[in-house]
Amino acid sequence: MAKAPGAALPDPEAPDGITDTDLWQVMQTVPLGAGVLAGGAVALLVLGWLIVYLLVFLPRGTVG
Amino acid sequence: MTQVNPQLSERRVLMTELLWSFGVGVLVVAIIGMVLVTALTMGVNPPSNVERIDPKTLHLSGEFAEQNLGTTVTSDGIIARVIATQFMFVPRCIQVPEGRQVTLRMTTPDVIHGILVTGTNVNTMVVPGYVAQVHTVFTRTGDLLMPCHEYCGLGHSEMYAVVQVVSQNKFRPDSNGRAVCAQR
Repeated sequence: MAKAPGAALPDPEAPDGITDTDLWQVMQTVPLGAGVLAGGAVALLVLGWLIVYLLVFLPRGTVG
Repeated sequence: MTQVNPQLSERRVLMTELLWSFGVGVLVVAIIGMVLVTALTMGVNPPSNVERIDPKTLHLSGEFAEQNLGTTVTSDGIIARVIATQFMFVPRCIQVPEGRQVTLRMTTPDVIHGILVTGTNVNTMVVPGYVAQVHTVFTRTGDLLMPCHEYCGLGHSEMYAVVQVVSQNKFRPDSNGRAVCAQR
């Protein structure tokens, strides 16, 4: 993992060498990425529903 | 070592979750709103009809006796009555006009069947002991396939009928209000 300038040296007590600062930096970007991914997936799903509802379901005529 | 502020981190996570919940809430309200608006303004509703009929005697007399099956124009509107039975529909073809409200009424004397009319939203189960009813307006002319879509036995795949949708000027019921399929 690339170190940001000024990042602390690896914690000698951390067995994998990942410090709290590393985790903090990752957590700055991961929620945004997850939000974009989930938002894009939901947007595609809703768009598909809208297209089918407006262009397929409604033109087929009413039922009741 | 840089200290991580856990409260700041938790606040960011909370804000993200609240923002996501708000967005999803808006979508759910918008979709339910569209369904409600079309239901109230265009009459798009799931077919619902609870009406009992004796499956042992329905073919002997009453609404579903043989002479009453098919399409009939009455003062109540255009009604098409069909019996679904293993493994055929009676009659095999019903004629209906385009652009006018049609009431499809169906029942069965034997097992559970289901019907759909291809290219339309007509789709319902036909359950012994009950009358299935669907109001609809056919929006295009042509011969539309109406297969049984509920497995009803070995001959299920051969069980289908045709809904012949004709333009209003070609829909000419006889003096008794009966309309039959044109031979093609």
